[in-house]
This record gives sequence, structure tokens and C-alpha cells, in this order.
Amino acid sequence: MPETAGNVRIRLDNVSLCYRLAKQRIPSIKEYAIHWMKGALAYEKLWALRDVDLTVREGETVGIVGRNGAGKSTLLKVISRVLKPSKGTIEVRGMVSPILELGTGFDHELTGLENIYLNALLLGRTRREIQEKLEEIVDFSGLGDFIRSPIRNYSSGMLARLGFSVATAWLPEILILDEILTVGDAAFTEKCEAKMRTFHDAGITILVVSHSEKVVRDTCTRCVWLDAGRLRADGETGEVLDLYLHGGHEPSERAAGRLPQTS
Amino acid sequence: MQDVYRYRDLVRALVARELKVRYRRSAIGFLWTMLQPLLTMLVLQLVFSQIFAVRLTYGNYPIFALAGILFWNFFSQSIVASMNSLRGNAQLLQKLPVPKAVFPLATVISGVVNLVFALVPLLAILLITGHPIRPALLFLPISIFLVALFTLGAGLLLSPMAVFFSDVVELIGVLLMLLMYLTPVIYPIEIVPERIRWVVRYNPIRSILEVFRDPIYQGEVPPLPHLAVCVAIAALAFALGAWVFRKSSDRIPFYV
Repeated sequence: MPETAGNVRIRLDNVSLCYRLAKQRIPSIKEYAIHWMKGALAYEKLWALRDVDLTVREGETVGIVGRNGAGKSTLLKVISRVLKPSKGTIEVRGMVSPILELGTGFDHELTGLENIYLNALLLGRTRREIQEKLEEIVDFSGLGDFIRSPIRNYSSGMLARLGFSVATAWLPEILILDEILTVGDAAFTEKCEAKMRTFHDAGITILVVSHSEKVVRDTCTRCVWLDAGRLRADGETGEVLDLYLHGGHEPSERAAGRLPQTS
Repeated sequence: MQDVYRYRDLVRALVARELKVRYRRSAIGFLWTMLQPLLTMLVLQLVFSQIFAVRLTYGNYPIFALAGILFWNFFSQSIVASMNSLRGNAQLLQKLPVPKAVFPLATVISGVVNLVFALVPLLAILLITGHPIRPALLFLPISIFLVALFTLGAGLLLSPMAVFFSDVVELIGVLLMLLMYLTPVIYPIEIVPERIRWVVRYNPIRSILEVFRDPIYQGEVPPLPHLAVCVAIAALAFALGAWVFRKSSDRIPFYV
């Protein structure tokens, strides 16, 4: 790969991330003290990412595939700076706009309109920036009059529209999509894909996590396969998908080795 | 800290939401903020004058107690709410790169708004009981700022611990009760036996309390040395809280 440092957006160098799961879920101070005195503070170490090296450049749309628990979402959280890696270094250049799962950062008692504000504020926008884009966001969501009713009445497709509209209202340098393109109806999916193409043309880096082979095949120029926290393959979408779909079925380390019995 | 500044509009929205939830729940929700301290004041007046039969040489006990209660409610409720604020927003903290300090900050700010609302009935009682209204009351904004800074420091210090250990909130609840009795909130410091009075005297919360109560009760701006001590205590509490919060903030999303 040619090293044109100027257009590297994301660089992960030997990144590992470990969740320390306490044997008792959230220990109390009392238990902590007792265990500490016994010298028996036991934690389950779960390495969600192991030695991941990844470089993503401007304009790439990268699909991330892997089975449940392979570390896909953890990887996205590390890139969007929610979680700090336990080892290794990470460098992210530019504004990251994460759209994570349905309804994260939504308040179900508030209306769609109020939620646009709330969600955009949570993404680090100011009130003024939001006001400037409000009309555009409402238009793109296509929610019409529903925008004035509380979102607890929304379907999951409608929530996804709202979330996508908010997060893509501003051109970020890096856009993160975690399982979102599959929930809207056909018309909206098409709209999203069109928007993603504009993003792609504008040189924005996009990371997509999806279990839908079609979404990955249609939108991504490159694909990485995560298995038990390791990068198993990285390359052209078609090749990696074939490898993942046809060669990846031996039991993964984590599925077999997780939560060993303790005496 | 610049991060928090960038998210200032989010803080404002969180404060507005917290107040809305509080006052929407019941038609008299707003009234309760004012009534609750008043009723507590009446109870204390009864207990101290009738049951303990303390000779309050102390002019206007209701004003003394009410000002104390308003301070204490703000302080203790803000701490407990800050501790719950990180847990309550666990979902967000695990998914979005929001500066975590915005949650305790918004909690303390909405506490300040409630405190200001609660000053209204206090003023009414001042007028009704014929307590002299002095210009020292104009010093209150500065008092409230110091009280808030101190409380925010305590909230920042304790809120990460509530994430790491499940029982801290209960423990702090008990500690706060103990602290309340070690602070002359509802009793004058003179009734404390001489040999243990130093505990109350050197309790930093007492200093902070008095910077708030003196302008109301004594009608005097706190003397400069006392004020200087209070500024130092509040600044130190805030610096310590901010430092601890920052140190632990990377670990928070792993535990909420």
C-alpha cells in the first residue's frame, strides 16, 4: 500500500481492548473490601480486540463483518473514542459522526423534533448549528407530521430514519454506521444509499457494520473480517465476504473459551 | 474542559429536561420545591422549641433553620443526583463520545435553579416575620456560586465511584446524614459541648454553609477572612473533584 500520510483518516496500531468483567456483576464496596483482604479479587478478562492493525484512508467505505461478539461494535467504539484501548495506539483525524443502533440518544417521551435537538446536541452540535439544518433534517427524514408526536409512537424504521437524518446532516470526515441501513423501508434505504454515494464522492470515510451481505456488497469498497477480536481478513469486499461466508465456520476461540468454569 | 464547553448547549438542554420532568410530574410540583423546606422548618421549630426546649437566644430560629435546610437540600440532593446521573445515562456513555462531566454538571446546575426558586418563600418568610431586609442579600449570587462550586466538586469526586461500586450511593446517604449533624444546619453551633465543638468548627461544610446563611440570617456580608477561606475551600473541592473525575473518566464506560 502506498503510504501517502496526508489522507490517512484512521490508523490503529496493535490495538487490543480488554473488558474486565468482575465475577460478581458490579461489586459492592463491602465485597470489594472482603475480596481485597483475601487477595482474591478475580476478574474475567475478555479481550474483545487483539492486536488489530488497521489503516483507513480518505474516501474509503469499509464494511466490517464477523459473527456476534467478534468485536465489531467494540472496534467502532474505539474509533469513535468512546472506549480507550487497553494497549496499542489509535489515531483518528477528523470529526467522527457515529450512528449507533436504534434510538440511542433518543428520549421516548419527547417529540421527533425535540429529539433532533437532543440527538444532535449529544453528537456535539450547538443549538445554532442545529437550527440552521433543522428544515433539511426534517425533510430528509420524510416523517412529515409525525415529527411533532412523541417518538414512543414511532416504528423502528421511523426511528432509524430520524437517527440517520440527524447524523448525516453535517458532513463529518468519518461516518460510522452500526446496523442501521437495513431497518428502513425500500424507499428510505435507497435514499440512504444515494446519500452515502454523495458522501463517498465527497471523500468521506465510512465504516459500516452490517449482518446483511447485500448492504456490505453494495456499499463497501473494502471489507474487514473480525473473528474473536482478531483481524482475520482485510481486502476487496467480494473476496473477504466469500472467505467469511464460506470459510469461517470453525468454532471461534471466544465462543469456545469464554467464561471458563471456576471452582 | 474545552470539551465540556463545546457541549454547553447540551448541558443547557439536560438542565431544561431535568427541570421539566421535575415540574411536570405533578401540578403542584413547582409549589413543592417551595413548600417542602417550609414544612421542614415548621417541624424543626416545633421540635426545638417544644420537645428539646432549647433556649434559642437566637432571634429568628425559623429563618436560621430555613436557610440551613435550603443549603443542605441543595448540597445533599445534588450529590446523590450526580452519583445517579452517570448510571442513569449508562446507555449514552457506552455509545457516544460525550464528555462525561456534562451529566453531573447539568445535575448541579438544575439544583441551583431549584435553590433559586426556593429563595422566593424564604423572602416571603423574611417579610412576614419582620426580619430586617438588608442589602447584604445582594451578596447571595456570590454565595450561591461558591456553594455550587463546592457541591460540583463533591459531585465530580463521588460520581465515578457510584459507577465502580454499586453500594456507594447508600453509603453516601448515611454519611450525608452524619455530616448534616456535624454541620450547624438546624442547630446553632453554641449548643455543641465545648470539648467537641472544634469538629463542627473546622468542618469545611460549615464555612460554605455560613457564606450562604450569613447574608440572609445575620444580614451581613461574610467578613473578608472567612470569605477567603470559603473561596479556597470551594476552589480546592472543585479542583480535586475535577482531577479525580478526569483520572477515572476513561474507565467509566467499561463499568456503567
